[in-house]
Amino acid sequence: MDDGSATERLDRHALVMAIWLPLGFVATALLHVGLTGGGAWWIGAGFAAIIAAFTCHVIANAMLGTSFTYGETALGAVAYAAAVLAVLATLLFASEPVAGRILLPVALGLAALLAAVILYLVIAFGARGAFERFDVIRDNNLRAASRLPHRGGRR
Amino acid sequence: MTTLLPSLLVLVAILGLYVAARVARLGRPAREFLDAGQGLPGWAIMVLMPGLVLAGYGLDRHFVLVADYGLQAAHVGVGLVFVAFAALALWNRMWLAARVAGLATPGEALGRYYQSVALRVVMMGLTLLFALPVAADLLGSAGRQIEGATGGVLPRMAAIWLLAFGLAIPAIIGGWRASVLVLAMQAALIGVLLAAATVLAVILSGGGGFPSLPIGNAEGILWDRIPGVIQNSAGIGKAVPAGGIFTTTGIASTVVALVGIVLSPAALYLGQTVRAGSAFGTGSVWLTAGIGAALMVLAVPVLLSLMPDGMLVAATGLFGRAPVAAGGLLLIPLLGNILAASFFVTGGVILLSREFLHRYLLPGLSPSGQRLSVRIGLGFGFFFVALSASFAPFPSAVLASAALPLAVQMLPAILGLAFLRWISRGAVLAGLVLGMLIVVFTEPPGLILFEGLFLDVPWGRWPLTIHSAVWGLVFNLLLVALASAATARDPARFERARLHDAMLRQGGTSPGAHGLLWALALLWGFFAYGPGAILGNTFFSHPIFSRVEAALGIPSLWVWQILFWLMGVVLVWWLAYRVGLGHTRDIGTRPIRLGADEVLRTPDWLSSGLARVIARRSRRRKPGAGPVDGHEARREPRRIRIP
Repeated sequence: MDDGSATERLDRHALVMAIWLPLGFVATALLHVGLTGGGAWWIGAGFAAIIAAFTCHVIANAMLGTSFTYGETALGAVAYAAAVLAVLATLLFASEPVAGRILLPVALGLAALLAAVILYLVIAFGARGAFERFDVIRDNNLRAASRLPHRGGRR
Repeated sequence: MTTLLPSLLVLVAILGLYVAARVARLGRPAREFLDAGQGLPGWAIMVLMPGLVLAGYGLDRHFVLVADYGLQAAHVGVGLVFVAFAALALWNRMWLAARVAGLATPGEALGRYYQSVALRVVMMGLTLLFALPVAADLLGSAGRQIEGATGGVLPRMAAIWLLAFGLAIPAIIGGWRASVLVLAMQAALIGVLLAAATVLAVILSGGGGFPSLPIGNAEGILWDRIPGVIQNSAGIGKAVPAGGIFTTTGIASTVVALVGIVLSPAALYLGQTVRAGSAFGTGSVWLTAGIGAALMVLAVPVLLSLMPDGMLVAATGLFGRAPVAAGGLLLIPLLGNILAASFFVTGGVILLSREFLHRYLLPGLSPSGQRLSVRIGLGFGFFFVALSASFAPFPSAVLASAALPLAVQMLPAILGLAFLRWISRGAVLAGLVLGMLIVVFTEPPGLILFEGLFLDVPWGRWPLTIHSAVWGLVFNLLLVALASAATARDPARFERARLHDAMLRQGGTSPGAHGLLWALALLWGFFAYGPGAILGNTFFSHPIFSRVEAALGIPSLWVWQILFWLMGVVLVWWLAYRVGLGHTRDIGTRPIRLGADEVLRTPDWLSSGLARVIARRSRRRKPGAGPVDGHEARREPRRIRIP
């Protein structure tokens, strides 16, 4: 039986989907036009739609006092990695005119997306806090007691 | 397009199924299947409010009207601000009534406040009207759109049944919460697609179309101006008003009819089941009056000017260059119809179950039994809607035409519950009967029936270019005022005053004390979509105080619409945040008991009828048993006393 928190999590999940569904659709339409011959501006507009959705997601998190879930982070990372791999595959296998036409705008779009994520992390957690979220090497002591603040724990 | 559009619809259906399954897996108490525990998330109402108003008015119908009548039809978009105003004021009070006095449904709220079973029955009738003919009409339109988009590969009837199935399953699985969440997502999709499609269409057309070119319209229509304050026309079907049907009174009365969406039972129930917070404020100010009205005023004329041959032809042309965008373009009106149909059926079945089945037929049903009964009801509801849409599209359309104006006739009753304690039961009922009769006889159901059975009447639909909603409401309000004055000493007023006092204690705000706001709202209404809007025809191109002619490059009426839309947003903001109706907070006290204790019992005629059937069955089963008289076998009706 749910005590209410699961319901709130689901409500937030639905809100996140309500953000990504329309903007993702628009981004897909724009990227499709851009990649099939529309040109760099369409690709740029597609990435702008994705960044807009990301921004709305961040705003929703701020309003609800939540953060990105592990599932969302994993999905985002996998999608981003897939996009980077697709760009590399295009570079290797696509004909030169096609690669020349789409490579630069897509690479710039992916870079802008990465910049947006980094900017969010810096604003949300500060420069050091943002770095510490990925700094797994220093957390090499697996004992639970090592996480206590007076023993130097930083989590 | 044949593959793309059905694929997109399948994706939307899968999304609905996913959300419904997630809601069902929460394992919340069975009772919450019906009302989400009165804890719907605020964002869902914020997004759904404008989507519901746009979809309930009929996006596809509005597109056709704007394409034919131009800016005079698009002027109705300014009225979305008034709808937001009404939604904010009335939903807030219905929400408060639900918490202060435990009035869980609109029918129960009106029935217990006025101590009237008749009002409950009227609300049930309205619920049925929206849940069956209106939903069937909307679903039928969606079926026609799919048939057209797929070139007949998916016939209208098959599309209707597939849509009904796709809508029924999430509602049956997830109940009210899942339905509202899914519909909110669809509403967000409609809004973003409408904005994106407009921008995309302008870019792809190279910047042509409106305002540099006129909106393609029918012959003899004044596309860039309002054709007068009022016209001496017998009405649609009898005479054709010169220059178009959207005179200022036509626009104002259509805007009043739009309030019928907000007053429909399912929409009121939506407002009652949201959790405390600022959903009403944000939803009405920024999303309905702001973004929703902006889309209607700014985007729709531009978009339709680029589609002189209709949306389907435009989408087919776009398909070669941008197939996903073409699919999105067709999704806009289609999703609007699906959203409204799903909402009215789901909300309607839940309300009818609570108001009729759980109250009169099976008053002792357990919460899980109630959930099961609603699930079965939803199955039957969508089945009958699909059946009506498939085999009775014309009767559905005729009956649906009267739904909004009939819902508007509930306005005095709801105003009485919300603000005006002096409105009495007898006055409400008398006004309701008169108003509804007038509506029926100025809309197709009454006109067709009367002229078919007896003789031709000299008026048609919208006589004098005034919408039937206003014809009915004017006489309704007049009678309510007179009858309430005559029944001012009615002893029941003390009971009604208890609710108002309790609401004032909890709500902490009295909108009546803000005289300046109401004065400005009336003034704004007069110029925005009332008779004063006629000035907008030439105000910015041929200013009345100067001989100078301004070359704006865009029609003066469009500037007028934009200006008064922006002013209207400020007014709604005032009502929401300065008066305080935009925010709700949980009450800390026990709900008051309104009226005498109610005895839930099955009506005698119903229980005796059931007893006869049961007796007949048992007689068949036991041939050896003696004859059983229906009256003798009648059991004492089950009574449940509720506080």
